[in-house]
Amino acid sequence: LNPTLLHMSVFSQSFSPCGRFLAAGNNYGEIALFSLSAALSPDATAQSQKPVLTFTAHEGPVFSLLSTDCHLLSAGNGEISAWSWTELIKKNVKPLWTKRPNYKSSLEIPEINSMVMNPRDNSLIVGGGDNNVHVLDLERGVFKLVLQGHSDYVHCVSVREREAEILSGGEDGAVRIWDSRTGQSVHCIEVYKYESCARPQYGKWISCLTTDSDWMLCGGGPSMSLWHLRSLSPTSVFPLTGCQRQAAFHQDMILAVGEGPFLSHCLLGGEVKAQIPCTPQSLNTLQLNTNSTEHRVLTAGGSSDHIDVFTNLSYRAFSLRF
Amino acid sequence: MGAVTDDEVIRKRLLIDGDGAGDDRRINVLLKSFTKWCNSPGTPEEGFTQYQRMMGTLAQCEFSMGKTLMVYDMNLREMENYEKIYSNIEQNITSAHEKIAECKKEIQRAKRIRKNRQEYDALAKVIQQHPDRHETLKQLEALDKELQQLSHIKENVDAKLELRKKQFHVLLSTIQELQQTLENDEKSDNDDNNQESPAENGE
Repeated sequence: LNPTLLHMSVFSQSFSPCGRFLAAGNNYGEIALFSLSAALSPDATAQSQKPVLTFTAHEGPVFSLLSTDCHLLSAGNGEISAWSWTELIKKNVKPLWTKRPNYKSSLEIPEINSMVMNPRDNSLIVGGGDNNVHVLDLERGVFKLVLQGHSDYVHCVSVREREAEILSGGEDGAVRIWDSRTGQSVHCIEVYKYESCARPQYGKWISCLTTDSDWMLCGGGPSMSLWHLRSLSPTSVFPLTGCQRQAAFHQDMILAVGEGPFLSHCLLGGEVKAQIPCTPQSLNTLQLNTNSTEHRVLTAGGSSDHIDVFTNLSYRAFSLRF
Repeated sequence: MGAVTDDEVIRKRLLIDGDGAGDDRRINVLLKSFTKWCNSPGTPEEGFTQYQRMMGTLAQCEFSMGKTLMVYDMNLREMENYEKIYSNIEQNITSAHEKIAECKKEIQRAKRIRKNRQEYDALAKVIQQHPDRHETLKQLEALDKELQQLSHIKENVDAKLELRKKQFHVLLSTIQELQQTLENDEKSDNDDNNQESPAENGE
């Protein structure tokens, strides 16, 4: 068994704007492009589940991938690279540009852990190892804002479009809410201080954060919890063992992945409806393909070279392999 | 080209005449026996029997033709029937498709409603943990009243204090005036005495 495949971890995923391709980033700095139309077609073979293109994008692990209307943005080794989707589909692997946020110290280059788009003003929100959240204006190509306040590195970022707010969660256990126009920290929620969510045996860090207008899901060391943002109060706590690394709101459910070889389905009230078994022993990333109606799949990747594909949320259909 | 058509013809004839050359042979035999009967020199009885036999065969042929015609009619009607069923099924399929689309929309709506209900329940849970609004309002009212009473008392005490202050002020200023007056008197007395003594000394 190839040792590289054995120790591979998939950290990030992103679907192409046309919805026919999936890009996945691993710990070796590689990005692989999978063709969903080939893998989902009725006459798919084992070869259709392998990538149509694999290339080395960064020197360090690709912790975050994001797609815009025509570009794929990848973060690795402290820098952000942009690739054109049309070029990648044609197997041309030259990046359009590579930028690095203004880090204070030039000795150690901090990792970028998470990126999210703010479609309101076409900016990219980046959170990383220098404890700050950087905002890159994609139109002008310059970093226009730095949100300082976290006392340890930032694990995850999210955007609340309607209220023009940015949310960030970090190792210091705080979820900070920032005004995206002024860059001021509007609220700071220290989740581990709330008895209902705190799990001191795991720590206080926040590794997963996602919002759905008025509601927010966050988890990590503390149990994953659902918060009502206007009143800043935790409404439900989910009894999931292990630390959750990514969660998403989907219709009337909550999907979450983290430590443990399963994808959890939860209801907003706090009950865990189902736990679907997955191939990797622990999962890092969860993505829903909303860009295509024919390839509406859910994919999950983690500490394995297999990426599980779900055509129906209740069971794993097949796996893509690096 | 000619060979193909011949094959086709032979195939068709074999297919039609499937029951071992029955009707075709019968017609050929009838024709042969007719020509034989026309040209035969036999006795009138023989001729009559032959005529009877030919009429019988003719009747058989007519019967077989009638049967085939009826089968043909039946096939036509069957075709019509099948066409009807076919279009009926097509309609059902399209309406089923529409129903499926409707149901999908319904599911989406139901899921949204369920999500809203769950959000509502989650918030309600949190709200329940806080004390009842009426209770708090009553408490606030009671506290307000207490506050009013206390400030009332304070006002009264303040007024009393003012009054006492004023009274003492009046008293003290009167005492001072008296003191001043007494001092003045004493001084003027002393002056008088001093004026008298130099006058006495002067003499």
